Amino acid sequence: MIILIVILTLILASALSFFLGKNIRSLEKIVIVSSLIELAAAGYVFFNFLANGQISLAPLFSLDALGVLFFCLIAVIGAAASFYSIGYLRAEMQKGIITVERVNIFYVLLHLFLLAMFTAVSADSPIFAWIAIEATTLSTAFLICFYKKPSSIEAAWKYLIINSVGLLLAFLGTMLFIALASKGVEAGEWLNWQSILTAATNFNPSIAKVAFILVMLGYGTKMGLVPMHTWLPDAHSKAPVPVSSLLSGVLLSVAFFLILRFKSAVDLAAGADFSQHLFIGFGVLSIVVSALIILRQKNYKRLLAYSSIEHMGIAALGFGFGGIGAFAALLHILYHGLAKSILFLSAGNIFLKYGSTKIKNVSGVLQALPITGVLFILGFLAIVGLPPFGIFFTEFYVFSAGIKTQPVLAGLAIIALIFVFAGFLKLISKMILSKKPEEVAVGEANVWTYVPIVILVIVFVVASLFLPEQLKTVINLAIK
Amino acid sequence: MTPILSQFSYIIAIVVFLSAVGFHLSRKNINLVFLYILQSSAIAVLLFIPAIQEMDFLLLLAAVLTLAIKAVFAPYFFLRLIRRHELTFTSNAYLSLPLTLITLALLAGLAYSHVFKSFVDLSGGNMHAVSLAIAAIFVSIFLSINRRGALSQIIGVLSLENTIVALTLFLGVVDSSGLDIGVSFDIGVWVVIAVLFLSMIYKQFGSLDVSTMKKLKEE
Repeated sequence: MIILIVILTLILASALSFFLGKNIRSLEKIVIVSSLIELAAAGYVFFNFLANGQISLAPLFSLDALGVLFFCLIAVIGAAASFYSIGYLRAEMQKGIITVERVNIFYVLLHLFLLAMFTAVSADSPIFAWIAIEATTLSTAFLICFYKKPSSIEAAWKYLIINSVGLLLAFLGTMLFIALASKGVEAGEWLNWQSILTAATNFNPSIAKVAFILVMLGYGTKMGLVPMHTWLPDAHSKAPVPVSSLLSGVLLSVAFFLILRFKSAVDLAAGADFSQHLFIGFGVLSIVVSALIILRQKNYKRLLAYSSIEHMGIAALGFGFGGIGAFAALLHILYHGLAKSILFLSAGNIFLKYGSTKIKNVSGVLQALPITGVLFILGFLAIVGLPPFGIFFTEFYVFSAGIKTQPVLAGLAIIALIFVFAGFLKLISKMILSKKPEEVAVGEANVWTYVPIVILVIVFVVASLFLPEQLKTVINLAIK
Repeated sequence: MTPILSQFSYIIAIVVFLSAVGFHLSRKNINLVFLYILQSSAIAVLLFIPAIQEMDFLLLLAAVLTLAIKAVFAPYFFLRLIRRHELTFTSNAYLSLPLTLITLALLAGLAYSHVFKSFVDLSGGNMHAVSLAIAAIFVSIFLSINRRGALSQIIGVLSLENTIVALTLFLGVVDSSGLDIGVSFDIGVWVVIAVLFLSMIYKQFGSLDVSTMKKLKEE
């Protein structure tokens, strides 16, 4: 029932936003109320799961431990991005960058985007989940070309075509899994994740492997794994900042969530080694390629986008190495979502102040935007994995699992992380710690542009220092 | 599966494959659209067969929806766009015609190779149709990659979707008709969005040739 409340809230929020048109204050109230409902629902889902186990609304929706984690991640980052949007869009309207009509379109699509992601993680059927993921592409394509500039239309087109082809490959992989699982099943029967898992031990291993490769290529495209990543830096850098934070912090992880669903099936059919090797291959490639690009990146939004590819690579490596690596990888996804949102939303404030995403055009952020400057530095320390932030521990556990099983590849990935650190350090020293140009005024745009980030930082620090036992329990259940 | 039904499936597979090859040979946008209507109608026929055999209302609805969206609704939007902007000819492909044909032959050969033997085993009585559907999938992916024209790329994506549906039907995948309807609806929305993007691209760049889109590189 609780899942349905979230789904209906978002449908209603999107429809109301559409009909309210130019009434900005009402649009903002809707986004606040719907975000609060999503947050409350996430809290309820989390504790209800701990008390009663699987949450189900047959035959459409079901949440197990893995689903609960992602459901909560979407709710938290979705709420932060939604609250931040209020301040960000107000500031852009004041500057004359966007009109009231664009704000209206933004909120309609934002609700639909969140709706699609909530549906993807709680769908009980793999095809239903595929439809939801395809819906994320459709809703975000217009958000990426929100500013209607030629470059943003180009980025959105690239996103639409590459992701559509990728998702069709995932669809083919999904249908092959269903073809394998549907032997002996009556025509028209609803095949859910559980029925695929139940039948997985009897799958033809070669077909299961091909199907998983297709799923990995398809959802891997959406997840931004190298070499299917080419759309990601363009799309993430052209989208409005709240959308970039959702794309990087949540959508990539939701795509990974679906790969993990199929991983369980292929592991039963063909042994765990097969999927682990794929994860390690894609993981190392993603980390190394993104690290090399980060080192010579000239655009800070693109740098953050490449950092997302790197972190998806680390998460893939964790599942590839297995053992404690898998636990760390799942926790890493949660931490990365929080840290990347902090960075993207702070980057939005920098863009509002300087009007450029090029590193060479930005200096003295700490002087011009004291609060944002500090938040950005904290985000930097978190994302590069310095202690005491959570990412330090998750990376430590991922690589300690890797050193035992794949020392050379783990070593290569660790060297790449040093490049990432150097790339970020260059960014920080040039943009944040340098001297402010005299013509740049001091001060944040409005309270909505930093309070959501401050809350995210508090959540992140608390979750880093005191990992709640309940969260550990859910993660342990999820990796089982 | 009866021998007649098996032969009928094979004929449909030939239509699907040849229309996918035809997309590569076509130099006029209008021909692309008509080939897509042909391919989509063939897919709809494939969906109608089990719907009528089992007298399943939802499956029948899914088949009607597929026919309406793919063979009527999508082509209508494409034809309107072609007429409005006078987009008679398609943009060039990245590979020349002889090289394209060689690639198509190689892709078809790959579909019949040992690599996909296990798929044929899964198909029951539809082994020839399955191989052709796999070949059509490869040919459709290659269309999206090889063509510079945005409309051709869209047709490539839609053809890929058609060929995947054909393959799953030849493999005898049982699935909920409710989900079939969901997928058809999703494709319908995709078409609307893709057409809106085509209009935006034409307005901004004065052409549907994606090689003219260089703003991201310039920045």
